[in-house]
Amino acid sequence: MIAQTKAELLKIRSTRTTLGLVAGMLALLLLLVLLTGLLSSTGALAGKDAQRNLLGLGGVAGLFAALAGLLAVTGEYRHGTIRPTFLFTPQRPRVLGGKLAASMIAGLAFGVVAEALGFAVGAVILAGRGVPFALDGSEVTLLVVGTIVGVVLWGGLGVGLGAILRNQVAAVIALLAWAFVVENLIFGLAPSVGRYGPEQAATALSGSTTRHLLSPAVGGAVLIAWVAALVAAGVVLTVRRDVE
Amino acid sequence: MTSVVVSESLTKRFGPLTAVDRLSFALEPGTITGFLGPNGAGKTTTLRVLLGLAAPTSGRALIFGKPYGELEQAALRVGAVLEATDFHPGRSGRDHLRTLGCAVGLPDSRSDEVLRLVELQSAAHRRVKGYSLGMRQRLGLAAALLGDPELLVLDEPANGLDPEGVRWLRDFLRAFAAEGRTVLVSSHVLAEVAQTVDRVLIINHGRLVAESSLEELTARVGGAVRVRSPHLPRLAEALRREGVATSDANGQALLAVGTTPERVGDIAFAAGVALHELTTGGSSLEEVFLELTSEVRS
Repeated sequence: MIAQTKAELLKIRSTRTTLGLVAGMLALLLLLVLLTGLLSSTGALAGKDAQRNLLGLGGVAGLFAALAGLLAVTGEYRHGTIRPTFLFTPQRPRVLGGKLAASMIAGLAFGVVAEALGFAVGAVILAGRGVPFALDGSEVTLLVVGTIVGVVLWGGLGVGLGAILRNQVAAVIALLAWAFVVENLIFGLAPSVGRYGPEQAATALSGSTTRHLLSPAVGGAVLIAWVAALVAAGVVLTVRRDVE
Repeated sequence: MTSVVVSESLTKRFGPLTAVDRLSFALEPGTITGFLGPNGAGKTTTLRVLLGLAAPTSGRALIFGKPYGELEQAALRVGAVLEATDFHPGRSGRDHLRTLGCAVGLPDSRSDEVLRLVELQSAAHRRVKGYSLGMRQRLGLAAALLGDPELLVLDEPANGLDPEGVRWLRDFLRAFAAEGRTVLVSSHVLAEVAQTVDRVLIINHGRLVAESSLEELTARVGGAVRVRSPHLPRLAEALRREGVATSDANGQALLAVGTTPERVGDIAFAAGVALHELTTGGSSLEEVFLELTSEVRS
């Protein structure tokens, strides 16, 4: 399993795809931090949840971690490398296990970089605009750690979704549609259901007290359950289905 | 001597289509076997099932006594190339090998060794998108050799190789088998592998139609009557009407199967078709192959 994880990490590092993801992540992060920090009124930035939102924007790395996990699986089907991969390791759950571990490690790196940068820039904006810092030490710790853990888990979601769908385009569309439209729609229409979605669960995990959200612990548990369910479904389907 | 590969009544269906139909054969150590049949005969499907990429509908395929999926350290015992295109275009040839080797605990130095073996060391750090088809074939072979396997399975390896590459591959496979290792190599052109293989398995429509040593196959040469005529379609029609199976030898001539030149001459005469050639024997291996895989109608 360790060898498989090392191999999967090498796959992630040996193409330019990952660099592209990191560049896209940093660009989107800076855009969001600047827009949120500079366009909101100082009054609107005074509250704890508003500051959690600004300083936790590093959580967008979750989307990119999920993309990395998703590409780790669907890229192999797209380019046919899944054949040599399964010829070398016919134990397919082991292959997916390696991809899960590698994608979560990549997610950790993404999350740490994004959250450190987003937090720093956000804090500078708050200070520069004279907004008093509203969060205490333990709240900051929960925000930073919760955000990064959320990003790591989203990396796992990507592996599960990719293993279920296999088709790269379909999987990317499904991920983006869910992240940008579907879950927000459900949360808006039926918050008691929508709060169990993986995005709202990640927001809850970072300590947000926005109405209807779960507690951080329950949010974390729900997110882990999502990863476990998607990856389990992905493993079952991958073992059962023939490879072209 | 235990067989390296055993296929027992292997069957694979895709919906109504039976791609592999109760296929049974065994491969002995130290042999090179040609796995032959026209395109669509079920060769690639058989290899996919053999290598655990697809599950059999019924029957079973064993490699070293086990289904491929249950082999521990499979890559150290079996090497295979199914498609010449199975690479990430943005990854270098060397990194492609390193990712595979890493998963089974092989050091990077082994990747460099096999790159030298297939003479790709100068392109090792280039991304695969710049490789020619022949280079990709060799990189695929390098990946198959990474684990220093005892069994090599190659699907249409000569596609995209220049004549020099084909000769190189032939010499390589012979040396490989001379060490007591086993090769299964598929092709839709017998001539491509005739100088390499010890024996052939010929399949058509998923069924085994012939299994013999190359000598036996050569001895069968002459089993068909070769006819040339300015009116080939009419002649073919007349022969079929009389229940003689025919196959087309490259549009230049007809091969009449399981009959005598006397009978073919009589049928041609009765149909009023002029003959420019009526011969037995001397037909090539390729013609025997065509004869074996032709549609036999009665």
